[in-house]
Amino acid sequence: MNTSRTASWVIIGLTLLFLIGPFVVIVLAALTNGNNLAFPPEGLSLRWFIKVFTIESFRDSFVISMVLAVFGTLAALVIGVPAAYAIVRYKVPGAGAVQLIVSSPLIVPGIIVGLALLRYLVIPTGFTIFATLFLAHTALILPYAVRVVTSSMQNLRTDVEEAALILGCSRLGSFFRVVFPNIRGGILAAFILGFVTSFNQVPVSLFLSGPGVRTLPIDMLAYMETTYDPSVAALACLLAVMSVGIVFAAEKFLGFSKYV
Amino acid sequence: MSDFVKLDKLTLAYGDVVAVPDLSFSIGKGELVALLGPSGCGKTTTMRAIAGLMAPKSGSIHIDGRDVTNLAPSKREVGLVFQSYALFPHLSVYENVAFGLKMRKASNIRERVEEAIASVGLSDFTNRLTPDLSGGQQQRVSLARSLVVEPKVLLLDEPLSNLDARLRLEMQLVLKDIQRRTGVTMIFVTHDQSEALALADRIVLMKDGVIVQEGSAEEMYNAPRTRFAADFFGFENIFPGDDGQDRAWRPGAITLGDGPFEGQIRGMSFGGDYRTYVIDTERGQIKGAVRADLPSYKEGDKVRFDLPMAQAVALDAG
Repeated sequence: MNTSRTASWVIIGLTLLFLIGPFVVIVLAALTNGNNLAFPPEGLSLRWFIKVFTIESFRDSFVISMVLAVFGTLAALVIGVPAAYAIVRYKVPGAGAVQLIVSSPLIVPGIIVGLALLRYLVIPTGFTIFATLFLAHTALILPYAVRVVTSSMQNLRTDVEEAALILGCSRLGSFFRVVFPNIRGGILAAFILGFVTSFNQVPVSLFLSGPGVRTLPIDMLAYMETTYDPSVAALACLLAVMSVGIVFAAEKFLGFSKYV
Repeated sequence: MSDFVKLDKLTLAYGDVVAVPDLSFSIGKGELVALLGPSGCGKTTTMRAIAGLMAPKSGSIHIDGRDVTNLAPSKREVGLVFQSYALFPHLSVYENVAFGLKMRKASNIRERVEEAIASVGLSDFTNRLTPDLSGGQQQRVSLARSLVVEPKVLLLDEPLSNLDARLRLEMQLVLKDIQRRTGVTMIFVTHDQSEALALADRIVLMKDGVIVQEGSAEEMYNAPRTRFAADFFGFENIFPGDDGQDRAWRPGAITLGDGPFEGQIRGMSFGGDYRTYVIDTERGQIKGAVRADLPSYKEGDKVRFDLPMAQAVALDAG
């Protein structure tokens, strides 16, 4: 009994170490006073955190990543919510196929998606890199949007909408007055998942980045190739804190984990 | 007056599958009518068509002299109490009941809603979210929500079937009281003959989308005209007579212990006041109910019995 309890604590400890360890290492490395990315840190200071904000390319790529994450996710929801509605409410012919196609960006390796978009969209048609990135991120987030919204919609009975129709709503009115308020949590969960996925996306964006247009993770990779200072670690810390903050707030206010 | 709700040659189909072919019937103002039948008989489909949730393939529906066949549900002035109650889970009792009035931009909303909530005895729950209520309370919210907009016709889908025996009786009284107080025309759908008998002024018995028989509760109970109707209203023993006419007897109409026929007891179920025996006979199984204070039989006993002609109901062929 006692040994099994000890063993389970050991396993829990190792798991936590495995999950949190790298983050702790990065945080400590970022707090260094030295000039190199190293662990353990040489002295403690916040100067690399301050430096991050002075690097112009980080500021630009942060804005690009933000715009992609926010508007890509919104676009995915605009497509995904009606799609989820149709899949749940109507016996759409080939609903299974639709769900599969919608999920395909999850299955096809991102690097191939990126390469394909570059080779067959950007090069032959002259589609701008930014528009292509936007397209790729939207497609990438769509599976999350459809899946999460579908599962929150499944809990809502059809007759609730019919009741709204009889009480005087139009079809569209019943969606906004009855369906939407009940799947709001699911939509927000999808938004957060999509946002985080898009913001942390590397493989798809890799081929679709060039001078002037880079997402933040790609920019961080590029920065590290030339400059091996701790500012990347500091930036990573800030981003991690941002992600945790968003998820924490969502969980606290909306019970986010119900939907995922 | 007797054509307040009028269905004329209504055909309802799901894709190519016709659920209700060519249905016609009329309901008078203020009447409480039961659409009764086994599942799949088309009763719910018919009710949904009246509500406008299903478009008919052909035929027409009139309510209070107005052709509503192609009107949206919201324009028909009907209320529908769903079997699942279909309350809006994100809204309170008050907001659920107020929903229809708000959509109509009615006046005195607060007053009317509070009155409606009080009339179903839920004033103490006005601000509760509906998923926190019991099934019986949810049903009363649903009722208040439908009635507060003063519909011309109130439709109810299996209004008693989710309730336990005590709540059933209570809800029966509530519905009868609503009928008396508001004079609203009510149509309810049920598969349970006892519900129909207890509640309805008139029963419309359906099978395969067709009306088998309609009449008052007493007519239906005492004088079913077909095998199907007889079986549905508890005439469990149906035999062809020597003259070629089918006759039906309730289990209670069978005399056990004496008579021209003989059978063997197959099994018994005790029902309090009565014991019901299943008896194997030359002409098939019969069911006979005998007062529990009379001598009982064991499985395998030979027993004589009679099918008294005076208690028989003669059935139409078919």
